[in-house]
Amino acid sequence: MNKFKTLSVAALLTCSLAARAEEVVIVVNPQNPATRMFTEQAAQFFLGKSSMFTPVDLPESSPIRAQFYRKVTGKDVGEVKAIWSRLVFTGKAAAPKEYRTSAEVKKAVAADPNAIGYIEKSALDGSVKAILTVQ
Amino acid sequence: MKPHPHLLLLALPLAISTARAETGGFAPTVDMSGYGTAAYTRANTDQAEFGRFNQLGGAKKSPVDGVDSNLGIQGTLTVNDWLSFTGQGLARKLATDRWGADLYWAYAKAQVNKQWSLYAGRVVAPVYMISDYRNVGFANTMIRPPQEMYSQVPFDSIDGASASYRSMLGATNLTVQFAIGNAREKLALQGTAPGSHQTIRAHAFKALNVLAEHGPVTFRLGYAQTDITLDGDPALGALTGALNGAGAGYALPQLNRLADALAVNRKKASFMSVGLALDLDDILVQSEAGKRRTQSAVPDSTSWYVLGGYRFGKFMPYVSYASLKSSNSVSNTVPAACPAGYPDACTPTLQALSAAVSGGLASGLVEQSTTSIGLRWNFSQSAAFKMQFDRVRPRHGSGLLLNATPGFNRDVTVCAAGVDFVF
Repeated sequence: MNKFKTLSVAALLTCSLAARAEEVVIVVNPQNPATRMFTEQAAQFFLGKSSMFTPVDLPESSPIRAQFYRKVTGKDVGEVKAIWSRLVFTGKAAAPKEYRTSAEVKKAVAADPNAIGYIEKSALDGSVKAILTVQ
Repeated sequence: MKPHPHLLLLALPLAISTARAETGGFAPTVDMSGYGTAAYTRANTDQAEFGRFNQLGGAKKSPVDGVDSNLGIQGTLTVNDWLSFTGQGLARKLATDRWGADLYWAYAKAQVNKQWSLYAGRVVAPVYMISDYRNVGFANTMIRPPQEMYSQVPFDSIDGASASYRSMLGATNLTVQFAIGNAREKLALQGTAPGSHQTIRAHAFKALNVLAEHGPVTFRLGYAQTDITLDGDPALGALTGALNGAGAGYALPQLNRLADALAVNRKKASFMSVGLALDLDDILVQSEAGKRRTQSAVPDSTSWYVLGGYRFGKFMPYVSYASLKSSNSVSNTVPAACPAGYPDACTPTLQALSAAVSGGLASGLVEQSTTSIGLRWNFSQSAAFKMQFDRVRPRHGSGLLLNATPGFNRDVTVCAAGVDFVF
């Protein structure tokens, strides 16, 4: 019984640690007039429902990507890919460009006034503007 | 106005060099991507075959790969931030019962601004809610689109142009698309040797497609109208020939008028459809209904389906029900008897003609419903496994089943399993 308690406490602790480590921010170009954004709005760009901003992605294998989509769109990476394939194979839109690291995402967002990306909060710096912290 | 896709491809090198000159060394990028399905399909009878729309043959008791498998390759050449060229080739088994690849789409796209895009070349005919990705198995829940509805318009693409407008109305994303062009499609001709087919042509095909997305809800309204011509239908040809012959021989012009009414020669045809999709958390609901109207031997039809699914992590079990009903837009106006004073052979001829017209009209009526259950398993980020069981119930005759033995009118169970992938 005691052992069980310890285990669950450990599990809870791991959860909260993991949650803190995975805090993700959505970033845009500093020139972008937007100052904040709702999760539902962000989801539209990353699911290809709106072409107002150009989303950029981390690699499919990235745990940040998986967390980001799970929290913002409620879908896993595969489901998101299925949604994009409806747009890609019909010529309506191109899938988000993938960048290998958060540093490259920042560079891409800093270079394109229309770009929107996501990075871990710890990587945030003045080259991009955070408009939403994904809890 | 019918820009041939090959001409567009020929124009490519010119476009590239112009773009280079203008942007001072902007390097055009080429992206290749693809999708496919590898699936086996089987049915529980040997007296009829189950196939997708416009396949000449299908699955019987032994599993076949030709019903649900396909492979699509798409290349996009992005010249600059507003101009791109896309070509898509699709290999599948269709009307001639042979594996073949065709140039599915080939168009130039100009992104005029954030709202407007213009397309020219071989573009999608936007007649259904999932028109443009119905062959991309990975993008769909079911292993195949409900055939009751997706058999009603034979044109996948048109050679012409389309314009698309995207905008936000409050929190609603609105897309309005208009397409115009001509089309030509080979149609399977049942009971003939592989390789033979009929041809259906659309003259001045016009389609309007309105899509509104609001959060988890998508609503769609579509209307398409065209003039159709069907060539190479031997039964219809024989029937109209006999009517015209008798009409001329006995001076009964109503027979000629009936022949004209039946003939599929530049006849108006339209398809109106509505669709609704809900993708809320773990719940998925998708439904469409369509009404086809023609003024010819091709019957009018009403078709619809409802699909519901629920996500359990990477697994999504789903159920669907689809229905197709049809009615004749032309009625049998062959007189029961000839006026007094006509030759003795006249009335028996009319009776034979009347029976042939009734038989022809009845055989055109295709009605069936299908109940399906299935499971989609997203076992990887780029591939999904699907398994689906269908209970197909033909209402008159053999419904949409193929190559049925005479008088076949039994329910058929179909099972298919396979993997959808994108790359």
